[in-house]
Amino acid sequence: MVVCIVALLVFAVLSIWSAKYRVLAKEAFRCVTRMVTFRPCDVHLETKIKTKVTSKLMFLPALARFFYKHFKIISWAFTISFFASLAYSVYSIYNLIVFGSCTPGEPCVITSFEGLCILVIEQYLAYAIVAVLAIVLIYFLIKSMMKKKK
Amino acid sequence: MLDTEKIRSEFPILQKQASGKGFVYLDSACTSLKPKPVIDAMNAYYTEFTACAGRSVHKFAKKTEEEFSVARRKIAKFINAKPEEIIWTKNTTEALNLVALGFPLEKGDSVLTTNLEHSSGLLPWHMRSEKGIELDFVSCNKQGEFSLEDFEKKITRKTKIVSVIHASNVTATVSPLKEIAKIAHDNKALVLADSAQSVPHFPVDVKKLGIDFLAFSGHKMLGPTGIGCLYARRELLEKINPLVLGGSTITDTDLHRHVLADVPMRLEAGIQNYAGAIGLGTAVDFLSKIGMENIEAHEKELSKILVEGLLEIPNLELIGPSDSQKRSALASFNIRGMEPHEIALMLNDKNFFVRSGMHCAYPIHKFLNFPKGSVRASLYLYNSKEEAKLFVEELKGIAKNFS
Repeated sequence: MVVCIVALLVFAVLSIWSAKYRVLAKEAFRCVTRMVTFRPCDVHLETKIKTKVTSKLMFLPALARFFYKHFKIISWAFTISFFASLAYSVYSIYNLIVFGSCTPGEPCVITSFEGLCILVIEQYLAYAIVAVLAIVLIYFLIKSMMKKKK
Repeated sequence: MLDTEKIRSEFPILQKQASGKGFVYLDSACTSLKPKPVIDAMNAYYTEFTACAGRSVHKFAKKTEEEFSVARRKIAKFINAKPEEIIWTKNTTEALNLVALGFPLEKGDSVLTTNLEHSSGLLPWHMRSEKGIELDFVSCNKQGEFSLEDFEKKITRKTKIVSVIHASNVTATVSPLKEIAKIAHDNKALVLADSAQSVPHFPVDVKKLGIDFLAFSGHKMLGPTGIGCLYARRELLEKINPLVLGGSTITDTDLHRHVLADVPMRLEAGIQNYAGAIGLGTAVDFLSKIGMENIEAHEKELSKILVEGLLEIPNLELIGPSDSQKRSALASFNIRGMEPHEIALMLNDKNFFVRSGMHCAYPIHKFLNFPKGSVRASLYLYNSKEEAKLFVEELKGIAKNFS
């Protein structure tokens, strides 16, 4: 379900350039609308994304199998890291507008041209990696606990 | 033995590709592909003689009238009926609704149907039961086979109509219509058959079966969408109350009264789907030329390959009998650990077109404990043995990797 939110944002941006993604963006929008109104998503968007990516990974069956079996947790990891990076970007942009630098008091790590900072990649990556690892860890902890219970 | 290659060459869509690759169409139970003669016949109506039948007197109108009545005669002959016993409808659904909602029944009368029914054969009776008609059900066995034993237990003198699916669109089982009709008639009940999945696939003779009503669609038998038929004996058609009135349904009217026309006209209101009827007539010619017995034999061969192949796959749950000779040309199944839509989407990625979900048959899926439905591969005369084998191989790969 959560993957719909990311899909909506990603496909909405992609659909600016390609009509192919507009259909998916519409489906994602419908899915999100239904989700926020506490109704089940009826467009099978998650299933479509899951099977599409699985099919693309079939050149390495083990990888495809791993993705298929752990799709839920992978989609959660992507969703959380997406929102974490989004929040951090907003924070950086705010700093840039208010203080003239993404990280006031520190120099920017990446600059597109002199003086303009885009993202502090080092910190962003660190947060994302920690978030993904934490989720994976929690997932396996819960799974092993469930197994023990059975 | 059918010359599949020759047959396939008559289908323009089979000469094309999907996403740059060849495809295997296994969704004929949903709708069949259309051969060129059918498309040409429909186009001819639109490009050569567009008009209304039975109204105007000009040449195009006469030509339309002639083609329209020829199509009716062809359909009648195809199921061994008389032309005046055929009513044009939009599809099987409309034909079933016409009987369920238009045939006179009294409060307290009972209708006996089954848990194998498609929504089209069930929901109209729900509507009717709200008006005091009792509804009872014959339960099939776990193989999805119609139970004559249960039927004999359930039928009573109050039963006025037995509404039964001829060939199931989920379990692939074929109901013993002849025996059903005999038992029903012994109890003074009429038999309505939903033949959407039978008329396209094997010979159906309404007289030999002894049934009273029969409904089927054109689009599942190489014809266009939007055209179907209801067969009933004349005296029964005369009893049906029209659900829609309008042009062509009356012989006279004034501001407060009207006189209904004779059947079949009174049940065919407004301008008809002439192109659809002409297209369906051509489809019937196409099927008759090949021979329904030959089509049935070809489908049995394909079904054997498909069913035997599916049964070899571990974790695959086949719905219906495992003996392919007891099945019509389709196979519904599930792979443990996977959802039906996932399987269908994976197959779609490899250009195998199947259907997934409930197939408009919720009760039978619930009865067989498949609440999320199933995947269905359905075959027709244009499918080859190679396609059936390729499909099984693809499915083996999916089951091996993901179940």
